[in-house]
Amino acid sequence: MRNLFNFIIRNSHWLVAILLVAFSFYLVFTHNSYQRSVYLTSANRVTGWLYTVSGDVSSFFLLKRNNRELLERNAQLEQELYALRDRLGNQSPTDSFTVEAFIADTTAVPQFTFIPAEVVNLSFSGVNNFITINKGRNQGVKQDMGVISHRGVVGVVSTVSANFAVVIPVINPKFRLSVRLKDSDNNGSLSWNGNNIREAQVQELPRHETFNNGDTVLTSFSRIFPKNLVIGRVSGLGESADDNFVTFNLELATDFYTLQDVLVINDRYYEEQNALEEKMKQ
Amino acid sequence: MKVTYLYEFLLFLLLILLQVLLLSRITLFGLATPVLYGYFLLKLPVGRNIFYVIISAFLMGLIIDIFLNTPGMNAAAITLVAMCRKPLMGLFFEKEEFEGFVPGMNSAAAPFIRFTLFTIFLHITLLYLIEAFTLFNMVNTLLRIVTSGVTSILLIIALDSIIYRRKNGEQS
Repeated sequence: MRNLFNFIIRNSHWLVAILLVAFSFYLVFTHNSYQRSVYLTSANRVTGWLYTVSGDVSSFFLLKRNNRELLERNAQLEQELYALRDRLGNQSPTDSFTVEAFIADTTAVPQFTFIPAEVVNLSFSGVNNFITINKGRNQGVKQDMGVISHRGVVGVVSTVSANFAVVIPVINPKFRLSVRLKDSDNNGSLSWNGNNIREAQVQELPRHETFNNGDTVLTSFSRIFPKNLVIGRVSGLGESADDNFVTFNLELATDFYTLQDVLVINDRYYEEQNALEEKMKQ
Repeated sequence: MKVTYLYEFLLFLLLILLQVLLLSRITLFGLATPVLYGYFLLKLPVGRNIFYVIISAFLMGLIIDIFLNTPGMNAAAITLVAMCRKPLMGLFFEKEEFEGFVPGMNSAAAPFIRFTLFTIFLHITLLYLIEAFTLFNMVNTLLRIVTSGVTSILLIIALDSIIYRRKNGEQS
């Protein structure tokens, strides 16, 4: 017995170390991006604050470029606005008369509203990529909301704290999204193979699907994103694991290196649809 | 003695900030990410209490994990390295070295480089293997271990040499 105690005391540093390593591995393996404690992520108050400070400094250097992009986007939207106005103005009274009956019902509230947010941290050093944004529960951000930039899809909100949220971007191996080519009805599945930040893969498209480099890839049915959002452009044929399906590479529309401002999508009907579908499962 | 602890605490904080705010955002050629925080373990005195070494290493890993959203990965890797620190030191340094001896380019360049090489490669190998354990793509992982290892070691040797040179200048 005494020898046993002596043994334990002599080797207690090994025991402590083994316990700590075991605890670390426990964290590694129970780490599930959808049910994590906020305290162990970059969404907690201290890390969020530090990242905000460093984000403020680095965003200063990107101001000029972002300004230009916003101006371009503004010009494009203005153009669309004028085109739409033009069309409305040209409509003959009989044309508009036929839709009048619906208008009172449908124009009232839009399905999607947007919460503007700023990126305070991007981590894509390895295969575990995350984005932290500076809006959280207090500003109406919830889990599973979609996040887009002015160029295209960014990712999905995974963890939310009071004033920050962690987003799983397209360039995370856990990210999956149903997509389609602009001129096609076949759905494929978007994923990322971990090699290149600018390129993702679309899998599970039928063999007979034809596509050219430069074709636009859009979101198809999804609970998180509205339909027909731009994801990127086809950049070439990829390796396919299965002979019955084709895989192609996709150049992402969002430039993750310089990502600064994003919009969180708030879908009014998300909870209603979710509740209905849950009910079906039971 | 107390000044040494203060110096170590500052090094601890500086290395964490350097890692999370700067180095972890770098990906050279899409592969190499410098992982420098293991430098803390290299700069602890030889005779430092092993509990102190292991617990400070674990805390460092955990803080970095919280910043990088990788719960447990860095903590597990650096704690394992801290466990192997004493046997590794026995390989490269003389047993008679006094307790407060701090390894460095200024005191013993050749053994320090060898010690750095082993410790950092061990750390990075463990780190990427734990990361890849939940994932795929072995060839890519190996490439990243080698490139990141080389980058980190070069950076550490450069950093240590710069500090050494400045101290030398002060003395003369």
